[in-house]
Amino acid sequence: MIAAAFLAGIDLVALEVVQALLPLVIFFSVFQVLYLKLPRVYVVNLAKGILLASLGMVLFLQGVNVAFLPAGREIGEAVAAFDQRWLLIPFGFFLGFLATYAEPAVRVLGYQVEESSSGYIKESLILYTLSLAVAVSVSLGMARLVYGIPLLWLLIPGYLLVIVLLLFTDKEFVGIAFDSGSVATGPMAVTFLLSLAVGVAAGIEGRNPVVDGFGLIALIALAPILSVLMLGILYRRTRGEET
Amino acid sequence: MQDIRETVFEVLRAVLPIILVITIFKIALLRVPPSDLLLFLLGSGMVILGIALFLSGVKAGLLPVGEAIGSELPARGSLLLVVAGSFLFGFLTIVAEPNLRVLTEMLDAVPGAGIPSGPLLLAIAVSVGFVITVAVLRIIFGFPLAYLFVVGYGAILLLAPFSSPEFLAVAVDAGGITTGLLTIPIILALGTGVSAVLAGRSALTDGFGLIGLASIAPILGVMVMGLVYA
Repeated sequence: MIAAAFLAGIDLVALEVVQALLPLVIFFSVFQVLYLKLPRVYVVNLAKGILLASLGMVLFLQGVNVAFLPAGREIGEAVAAFDQRWLLIPFGFFLGFLATYAEPAVRVLGYQVEESSSGYIKESLILYTLSLAVAVSVSLGMARLVYGIPLLWLLIPGYLLVIVLLLFTDKEFVGIAFDSGSVATGPMAVTFLLSLAVGVAAGIEGRNPVVDGFGLIALIALAPILSVLMLGILYRRTRGEET
Repeated sequence: MQDIRETVFEVLRAVLPIILVITIFKIALLRVPPSDLLLFLLGSGMVILGIALFLSGVKAGLLPVGEAIGSELPARGSLLLVVAGSFLFGFLTIVAEPNLRVLTEMLDAVPGAGIPSGPLLLAIAVSVGFVITVAVLRIIFGFPLAYLFVVGYGAILLLAPFSSPEFLAVAVDAGGITTGLLTIPIILALGTGVSAVLAGRSALTDGFGLIGLASIAPILGVMVMGLVYA
């Protein structure tokens, strides 16, 4: 029975992954034949890498669906029943941090930043900056659920702040900042944290799970942009002192 | 294989904290039956192995492939190749994104939603293809990235009051959905690949931002589609 629950729907996940990769493979094949003409051994290694990534993606998504999705909702409903509702705020901070710390897409971005900057900006710095940012946005999301704060009260000042910070930040960080927003809303956030919020919303009277739960993703997409732009300001300052 | 073993340890360090916390919750707070706990732990094992394989594969396959394509685009000195190549790259990557199919299936399932899923998919893919092209041209001609974001968000704010509520909701969701786990490394590498081969461009300053743009493009695309339908 466990095995059946464990593997339910894995064929669909596999099909989706193959389908998502198809255009890249076709595109690369055309380029390889017409322009690139890379050596055969190299191409075989690339193909192995792509195969590995697809296999990993299938296992990861299936694992998240059977393990983390239901866990988020159960925990959300259980903690919403606490008498001391404000506890949800530090609790959201804690789980938001841990979920982003485990998010694979965040590590891909961090790795690519460290490579592109030749080690000048460390992968771990990006990782901690994004994890902290998501932690703050999940605790804000929880505060919103507990006290019924409208989503726009958080989103509008947030985006205005983005514009202000854009003026002061180091230009190397602009692209990374906006990429971070999309990267942080990966499978961990969307399955685990979203189901956590939906669980909490279902457990608090007067909250609509759909409307109030889903606003969380908008917050998770916003906070990393702000935090990386701030990181850029810090970098600019320290560099300014050096020169 | 050595690499994969190292990656597994790295991933263990990443995922173990949240697995431990959930396990403690399940035992202490929820008092779940052992079969439920077993399912969670098995699933977690799958997540660990999955991320390890995924990250190794991304570094060995997806990123180099994306970079190879990205660095070849401007190398021919043909603007047509750059424009057609970037557009097709963005368009095809998005058409294949599984998340998008989920969105269109949901829309089809709602009776009388009034948003046809075929044109919606087309609007999203065309807008991402367009934005990827603009972003690649930006890297080549070197105007500031911040302008693109200011124009993009500005256009969203301008169009929002004119959009019907249904299209607005779908538009904002579409923005978050297009950048799936596989699309991220592919588009990321395209940008760093293009900027790495150009003299006077650094992969760090110029290569990033494509994913951010790819997630605001569909918002605009769907809003414009809504205006056309209205």
